[in-house]
Amino acid sequence: MVLLLVGVSMLTFAAMSLLGDPLFNILGPIAGDTENPQNIALQDEAKAQYHLDKPLPERYVRWAGDFITGDFGVQFSTDGQPPVLNLVKERLPRTLQLMVIAQILALAIAIPWGVFAASRANKASDKVSTFVAFGLVSLPNFALAVILFYIFAIKLDWLPDTYEATDPFWGFTHGHRLIQLILPAFTLALPIAAVFQRLLRTDLITTLQEDFILMARSKGVSKRRVLFGHALRPSMFSVLTLFGINAATLIGGSLVVEIYFRIPGIGTAIVEAVLREDFPVVLALVMVITLAFVLLNFLVDLLYTVLDPRVRS
Amino acid sequence: MHFASLRLRALLAVLVGLALFASACGADDAISDVADTVGDVASDGAAAVGDAAGDVAEAAEDLVTDDDGEMADDDEMTEEGSDAIVTETADDSDLTPVEGGTLRYGLEADVDGLNPVTSALSSPGLTMSNAVFDTLVRFDENNEWVPYLAESFEPSEDLTSWTMTLREGVTFHDGTPLNAEAIRVNFETALGDPLVGLAVKPFYIPLEDGAFEIIDDLTVRYNLSDADAHFPTSLAGQLGMIASPTWLAAALEDPTLNQAPVGTGPFTYDGRSQDSITRFVRNENWWNGRPYLDAVEFVPVTDPDVRNQLLLEGELDGLATTNPASIAELAESAAIQNLLDDSGDESFAQLNTSTAPFDDIRARQALTHASPVNNYNTLINLSVTRPANQFVTPDSPYFNPDIEQLSDMPELAGPLVESYCADFADNCTDGKINMELQWSGPSVVQTRIAELLNEGWEPFFNVEFQELPQDQHIQETAFGLYNAVTWRTFGNPEFTRDSVWVLCRTIGGISLNWVKYCDEERDDLMMAAVASDDEAERTDLIQQWSAMTNEAYTYVFFNHTLWDNALTEDVRNACARTTEDGTPFRCSVNGRTWFDTMFKTN
Amino acid sequence: MSPTNPTNVADVEIAAEAETGADHVVNKRLGFGFWVSVGWIVFIIGIAALAPVLPLKDPDANFLVLEERENPITGRMQEAPVQPPYAPSGEHWFGADQDARDVMSRTIYGARVSLTVGFAAIAFGIVFGGPLGMIAGFVGGWFDRAISYLFLVLLSFPGLVLAILITALVDRSLFTISLTLGILSIAPVGRLARAQTLVFAEREFVMAARTLGAKPFRILTKELLPNVMIPMAALALLGMAVAIVAEGGLAFLGLSIEKGSTWGKLIRTYTASSGDLESSPWMAFTPIGCLFFTVVALNYAGDKLRDYFDVRELML
Repeated sequence: MVLLLVGVSMLTFAAMSLLGDPLFNILGPIAGDTENPQNIALQDEAKAQYHLDKPLPERYVRWAGDFITGDFGVQFSTDGQPPVLNLVKERLPRTLQLMVIAQILALAIAIPWGVFAASRANKASDKVSTFVAFGLVSLPNFALAVILFYIFAIKLDWLPDTYEATDPFWGFTHGHRLIQLILPAFTLALPIAAVFQRLLRTDLITTLQEDFILMARSKGVSKRRVLFGHALRPSMFSVLTLFGINAATLIGGSLVVEIYFRIPGIGTAIVEAVLREDFPVVLALVMVITLAFVLLNFLVDLLYTVLDPRVRS
Repeated sequence: MHFASLRLRALLAVLVGLALFASACGADDAISDVADTVGDVASDGAAAVGDAAGDVAEAAEDLVTDDDGEMADDDEMTEEGSDAIVTETADDSDLTPVEGGTLRYGLEADVDGLNPVTSALSSPGLTMSNAVFDTLVRFDENNEWVPYLAESFEPSEDLTSWTMTLREGVTFHDGTPLNAEAIRVNFETALGDPLVGLAVKPFYIPLEDGAFEIIDDLTVRYNLSDADAHFPTSLAGQLGMIASPTWLAAALEDPTLNQAPVGTGPFTYDGRSQDSITRFVRNENWWNGRPYLDAVEFVPVTDPDVRNQLLLEGELDGLATTNPASIAELAESAAIQNLLDDSGDESFAQLNTSTAPFDDIRARQALTHASPVNNYNTLINLSVTRPANQFVTPDSPYFNPDIEQLSDMPELAGPLVESYCADFADNCTDGKINMELQWSGPSVVQTRIAELLNEGWEPFFNVEFQELPQDQHIQETAFGLYNAVTWRTFGNPEFTRDSVWVLCRTIGGISLNWVKYCDEERDDLMMAAVASDDEAERTDLIQQWSAMTNEAYTYVFFNHTLWDNALTEDVRNACARTTEDGTPFRCSVNGRTWFDTMFKTN
Repeated sequence: MSPTNPTNVADVEIAAEAETGADHVVNKRLGFGFWVSVGWIVFIIGIAALAPVLPLKDPDANFLVLEERENPITGRMQEAPVQPPYAPSGEHWFGADQDARDVMSRTIYGARVSLTVGFAAIAFGIVFGGPLGMIAGFVGGWFDRAISYLFLVLLSFPGLVLAILITALVDRSLFTISLTLGILSIAPVGRLARAQTLVFAEREFVMAARTLGAKPFRILTKELLPNVMIPMAALALLGMAVAIVAEGGLAFLGLSIEKGSTWGKLIRTYTASSGDLESSPWMAFTPIGCLFFTVVALNYAGDKLRDYFDVRELML
């Protein structure tokens, strides 16, 4: 896993170093001046300060050393060059809020949906539901964002069309971020819910054929109870697995969703930083994202082992 | 949308008429008193426009209908000698000021820092600066300079040095006194800054030869490279914003302090969270009275539609915008006061004359002829803004009515391209001139502009597109690494201040003369205008200068940027400050207004 | 964590991918839906390819409609342009956009770029990822471990971020964007090729070829390649859909090609202002519809193909 992080960081580091010019971010147009001696002195000074005059491997080792000790470097292209950590601290909670709400929504939609579909397996309503799920999975998130925005923010005007980072989070009016996050969270949640649902449905259909379910049914336990009480539990393993895998979808999706709904989170920050070629910011954010992804998968693996003894062997 | 824009033009026409009416009556009220609410404007305006048509709104709308991107009605306006500033604010004469409240003001973007001497501030940055800094000089509504933070100016006989005396007893927010030393620190930091200095240095003798002298604790002298009859106007902008020297020194050590400015202004910095809010609270010890508002909060909202929505819903109390659709919508709303002004910057495409193909005038001419400026104004500007063909609007005394920009004439482009390609076959492919169009992005509007321009240029030019992030775009433009870029500058209330963008002396490694076009003869006209204090002579010189610029084909003008500083009806007393003799100050300059006199009624 | 664990994650993902496919009930007919999907794909590719010769409007021309308006001051009738966008009409079937350009024509021309990117990306992925994965699976040992690790790094990296990085830093030509998405598709393609190779390498006919002394190259090309090709075809359809969507995502962030339009770019242009979206939704929904139908068709056809050839079983 550490190897993986090293690989990703090297890749990003090399790409940014070879393709971008960090000096330009620090100094602006001065960086391109080859005539004025005062400006050339400034360039040298900046190079020395940020070790840009050192060979690439040395810079990487320096950066990695700093990163491990929690020093993410400074934001080159922001006036005053504040630490990247400030940016991460400011942006990360917003993205996490969005993702947590999205995951909750996804489960809240997928479980009843999956159970419903399984209980009516291969009937007309199930076919429709499969069709809808297929459509949702195929719909790109930016298109879904536009459609949801058009319906709920413009036409019906039920939900606010802006996100305001200074508004309080907890509350139930348009002036609260909890409500402002619903539309973006739905955009992220619907395709995931469709994937969950499909998996859950397949799983449930298999489970419902098993002996212990048939036994429960024959004992007169109601269908609803069987579905939610008995059949659902084993299927949660597969949902758990998907949780980890969906982290990647979620991260990629949040990039587009944050931009469209103007949420100043990690996704917005990384796009801005890439556009400005702000080397340390991009690197730090890529690492944060990769770390989150790897950790999540690790946790899922762990939980899986704990919950299902068969995997241990 | 269509009708909205018509109405807007109607409103403009009415207000232009009204402004004329007001000045004819020797109105000594503040500009904000000129107009009432929108409804009243229409009825009051009837007399002013004095047109045969009974219903003014209708008449004005017709004026608009007449206008399909031609200069016709603009010329009419010139003849009337109407005022450039078109304001539409509530009548405040019967109101007693209310103290307290927070004004939330929407900006187009956030800024990286608010240090006026080390970073070139963008428009939102300058708006925020108006709350926290005072400029040494301000413009009154007649575009005459008036000492503001400074007390007086005295030129030398030959106009090459100016002595400035400061007000007594002014202190910065951190308690540092405003004195000659503070001015020195500000001036020398700006001059020493590798970027800001570029715009400053060309007009002073070298610092080591004494560009700046301290006479006594409150008196300083500036020594210029050339005679300048209007020198104080250079201190009405960013260079005239005076920051606390204590803070400047601290910010040099710890650049994060650039986010927390310390000036002498009506409001003091309170807090800032990047990309969401910057807050300033009342300066209890302001030298120029006590602001009514408790606090001003600046909120960057990049989407103009959303910004409008927030204002109409009352989430914001004011905003600045140049988006034509937004302005049309705001002008429609009776509950919104609009401070409209198009005397500021111009939008244009500029051509780099230092490299092929636009080092040859035929290529520049051909591009101008092929440019679909009418479509640009209809589609991009929704006919809301006025088309431009030079750096001033027809309202300016320096407007040259003889200038004609030969755009929208593709039939003239063909022979020029043919002749060019005969001489420089290397720069042509398939009989078309090869060029690159660069703009700053990613931006949907800028991309639409590029596609629209290309639609006109395509028959004669092979146009490559290059969209660059803003910083890089400015960098490449400054270094002359472009063929054509879409751009927006000029618009200083004092015309000759914009000479920094056009003189031969600002061509260099980093050129502020972006097009790198040098004509000594044209520079002489400009410098003569700088030195002259005779309005008639200046008008003549500047008109000649504009004519020469037109013939150089370095800019393809699109429109005069129309700025709207919109306020809800609760915000009163905007722009109420006057000079000592009672002339109102300019209400907004390039879309930036002042907040010290405003109050909120609820 | 031990180095075996990442592979674990990858395997789980393969399994999940398989499970997210169609039903457990293996349908041995391609079915009506498959042919509808193929029909749509052929149709969209056809009109995109033939766009220049079809009687379409110039996608870049500004079809400003002039209207006669009376000027009561002068009393003259005058022509002035009507402010676009224009609603769908006989002239413009899907309306005209903010710049009075034909939305249908722009969408069709946009398809040319979107489909090219999608095709080029997955083709690149197959040409480079396929052999890499096959050789890794066939050779095994340290080479296999290294390649598997490389795939894993590529997969762990948020793809869209890498795409943004490259396009922002290099340039935004059609070539670069296709190449970027192509590189991103190497890992999933390669992993599938490797998994398939591993399965077949143990099969009797490969064993037989080995015992008969066939050269590794011959085994790879003659025995293994045909068997890897089939699931690859299904993956190609799915991958093309992913690449088209990825290009759309890039365009939506304002980072696709600078000149010319793509579906994503059109959607971005037509939704940039919520005012335009409110007053003229047809502009945005035309490219959204095309993109959606194409992606659905590719996904559906890919899924069906996969079921038809029973790839899921083989993947285990």
